[in-house]
Amino acid sequence: MADLTEKIKNLTDTIGRDFVKTDDRTTAQYAIDGLTPAAVIFPKNTAEASAVIKFANQHHLAVVPWGSGSRIRMGNPPRKLDLVVCTRRMNHMLDVDTQNLTITVEAGVKLRDIQARLATEEDRCYLPLEDLDIAADEIICSDRSHSGCFIPLDPPGSEKATIGGIIAANASGPRRLLYNLPRDTILGVRFVTPQGDVPGSGGKTVKNVSGYDISKLMVGSMGSLGLITEMTFRLMPLPEKMQTLLFGFASLSDAHAFADGILKTKLLPAAVETMNAAAYEHLGFTGAPDFSPGRFVVAISLEAFAPAVDRMAREMRQTAADNGAVSSALFGEHPHQQFWLAVSDQAARLAAEYGNLIRAKANYRISQWKDIIEFTDNALAALKIQHTIQAHSGSGICLINLLLNENADGLKPEAAAFLEKLLQLSRKAGGNTVIQAAPADMKPMLKIWGETGSDFVAMKLLKKQLDPNDVMSPGRFVGGL
Amino acid sequence: MDNQELIERLREIVGPENVLASEMDLMLYSYDASLEKGKPDVVVLPGSTEEVSKIMALAYKEKVPILGRGSGTNLTGGTIPTKGGIVVHFSRMNRILKLDYENLTATVEPGVITLDLQTRILKDGFIYQPDPASQKVSTLGGNVGENSGGPHCLKYGVTSNHIQGLEVVLIDGTVIQTGGESRDNPGYDLPGLFVGSEGTIGLVTKIILKLEKAPEAVKTMLAIFETIEDGANTVSAIIAEGIIPATLEMMDNTVMRAVEATIKVGYPLDAAAVLIIELDGLPEGMDEKALKIMEICKQNKVREVKLAKNENERAILWAGRKGAFGSVGQVRPSYLCCDGTVPRTKLPEVLGKVIEIGKKYNLPIGNVFHAGDGNLHPLIMFDERDEDEKERVLKAATEILKLCADAGGTISGEHGVGLEKLKETYFIFNEGDLQLERDIKSAFDADNILNPGKMIPAAESDASAA
Repeated sequence: MADLTEKIKNLTDTIGRDFVKTDDRTTAQYAIDGLTPAAVIFPKNTAEASAVIKFANQHHLAVVPWGSGSRIRMGNPPRKLDLVVCTRRMNHMLDVDTQNLTITVEAGVKLRDIQARLATEEDRCYLPLEDLDIAADEIICSDRSHSGCFIPLDPPGSEKATIGGIIAANASGPRRLLYNLPRDTILGVRFVTPQGDVPGSGGKTVKNVSGYDISKLMVGSMGSLGLITEMTFRLMPLPEKMQTLLFGFASLSDAHAFADGILKTKLLPAAVETMNAAAYEHLGFTGAPDFSPGRFVVAISLEAFAPAVDRMAREMRQTAADNGAVSSALFGEHPHQQFWLAVSDQAARLAAEYGNLIRAKANYRISQWKDIIEFTDNALAALKIQHTIQAHSGSGICLINLLLNENADGLKPEAAAFLEKLLQLSRKAGGNTVIQAAPADMKPMLKIWGETGSDFVAMKLLKKQLDPNDVMSPGRFVGGL
Repeated sequence: MDNQELIERLREIVGPENVLASEMDLMLYSYDASLEKGKPDVVVLPGSTEEVSKIMALAYKEKVPILGRGSGTNLTGGTIPTKGGIVVHFSRMNRILKLDYENLTATVEPGVITLDLQTRILKDGFIYQPDPASQKVSTLGGNVGENSGGPHCLKYGVTSNHIQGLEVVLIDGTVIQTGGESRDNPGYDLPGLFVGSEGTIGLVTKIILKLEKAPEAVKTMLAIFETIEDGANTVSAIIAEGIIPATLEMMDNTVMRAVEATIKVGYPLDAAAVLIIELDGLPEGMDEKALKIMEICKQNKVREVKLAKNENERAILWAGRKGAFGSVGQVRPSYLCCDGTVPRTKLPEVLGKVIEIGKKYNLPIGNVFHAGDGNLHPLIMFDERDEDEKERVLKAATEILKLCADAGGTISGEHGVGLEKLKETYFIFNEGDLQLERDIKSAFDADNILNPGKMIPAAESDASAA
């Protein structure tokens, strides 16, 4: 260890003393699943990041990239942890080309800053700027492009997450129903390989088949193939009108009949989110004070041309009434933005409140969401484990939070048994279940990445070829890669 | 193992009637839609994944080059067996295995013709978006290999955005399933890597496609311009207005003339360019947007905007666009299609320079392309028998691709690199970028027998050794 500390001192020449932290206070803040790094390094650009990783590769050190830390609880505990490389200082927007509807940014740029930069002259933005929990001068958008566009991503933690972290984790949100996934939005990538090289792929055009589509390989690779440093995305014009509809239902059957009915029409909602009452209540949303959630809420996001939004709202309200909705609310742009921001912040809010929070993400064939919710709700109610359920209906994704307190150790074995059953149910439904957050002491008893399939052999081939010294996030990814 | 023995072994795997080895057969598989040529040693037509797996394992053991082929519409020589070996033709694996509308997926074998699938599901109100102009003959397996585009990619993205899962046979015959009937499966995005890999890291034997509900309304317009520049400026102006149409396709006078000489769809022969603009989605708001588009056209000095009044008129407008490549045979016997792509805002400038390049080399160039996403398709027309002309064509093509790369674009939007653009990859990649591609290739095919010599230029050290 002393030897390692000595070696790390060499890095201060390149990165600067202030940005290579080895003091206990700092390293403790960057501990991952109980492992503390020897140093936390804050490179200021791709070249510096490359120097750090080249160094790590030479000395066979283990590196884990860190953006805002909002998703650092994902993954297996690292097999080894020497350096955390934090992208916080790599926060430049390198090319904002709103005419062409593309943007190129560094990994440490926060999603909210991108959205703010793309706002109109009148501050019309995809996110509610005035409600963000930050001082105005913290937003890096001195040079507004006044374009009125946005990057079509609404992952958990839209307020704090860095774009590099969002891409590395392939994080998506409810509005993927209309805007698709990070893999569909990214056009190009530059990253530091485990050897410290800095290759790039893709570019500023929507169509590009010049060489392997390495951007897609990097999306969701969880820092196991390198440190993503720069990305190019396609942008969308801001929707002409944004509106939210909430409907409360007395039973899951009613909520399902309604949401499924909507999804079978030709209407094009941006999100159809089905949540249990606990999920709704934990949003802490104050924009619809008279709305009572019933047992299940279906929240619908409408983002389109104004006449299309009006028609969708009209028809959906009728369908909801026909399916026994017990309550409803409709609100316009500002509360709409607040509501979906609250949905995106749910994970962070619950993690702060529940010390032993377990968060699972199940995926399955899109028509099977009712089975997954029904099983989850009944099983957890029987175990008397408080929980939130939130399904991206129409996308085949369900997010489940087990709200366990610090003193809930006794429930951990039951929780683990439930998660195994959920995994098996998801497998039967053509999918898997990933544990996105769990107390470190529970991780060994859980299948963090669900079950591997026949393609694991190909993943191993790739990892072995690209990272033979096991430098990048060793052990954290699928199957212990 | 000599060739005769290889043929015998392949006959054992797929049956004698599914192995082609006569001179005539091999000749037929020695070209595709590009200018490249190369003869295979044997062609094999497997009927199942199991057979493909056995064929691959055999090639792997014997170190025989092997490559997959659909309908051979490849425009960059990607399906040319330059090193001989085995061509695996997927024409027999052409079954639609499952149409699962509940889950918005279709599972197909790679030999299914793109348009056959699209026609089949449209009857039920569903759509598979990618629509390469060759969709009448191209296979879905080929589309996956090339990450094919098409007019509707402006709004809906390319093939890769519509592939949810794959079954792939790896070089040693191992069969893997990746992605699946659900989305967000954990692990590396292998479907994302395999789509567009030009058959260099595996052979796809099953494809799970993402379906969408067909749009409720479609509105198609033809805008006629006196200059190409006016048309190109209109494209940028429409997007700047916050409208993303389903398509924004442009055709210049040269191409319109060729189309009219063969298909007769009524394009105005005295105009410099036309734009085919299509909106789709919910009908509410669409009339308003169409009016807005017409207004933008007027600001850019449009001569006339025609609106297709019914599905028949729409079909006629599109017939010309889809038949454009074939029609240019009217002008000269051969053409080379450059597939350079630029950021949309660079279109007017780049188009002007393309025309200059045509003049410089004294070659007719027709432009028919996906203007909305900046994907150019200058068709350089020539006579292949004229060696001097052919040489000028290649020089002009390289210059056009350089122009696109320098404008912040790329050398291929949807046709791939294949053989034809190997040296042009250096316009956009440095050695480090290419080394990463070589590393990926060698992770899956260390012996370099899967479609060898395609897509990635050999490292300088290897090139000098060879």
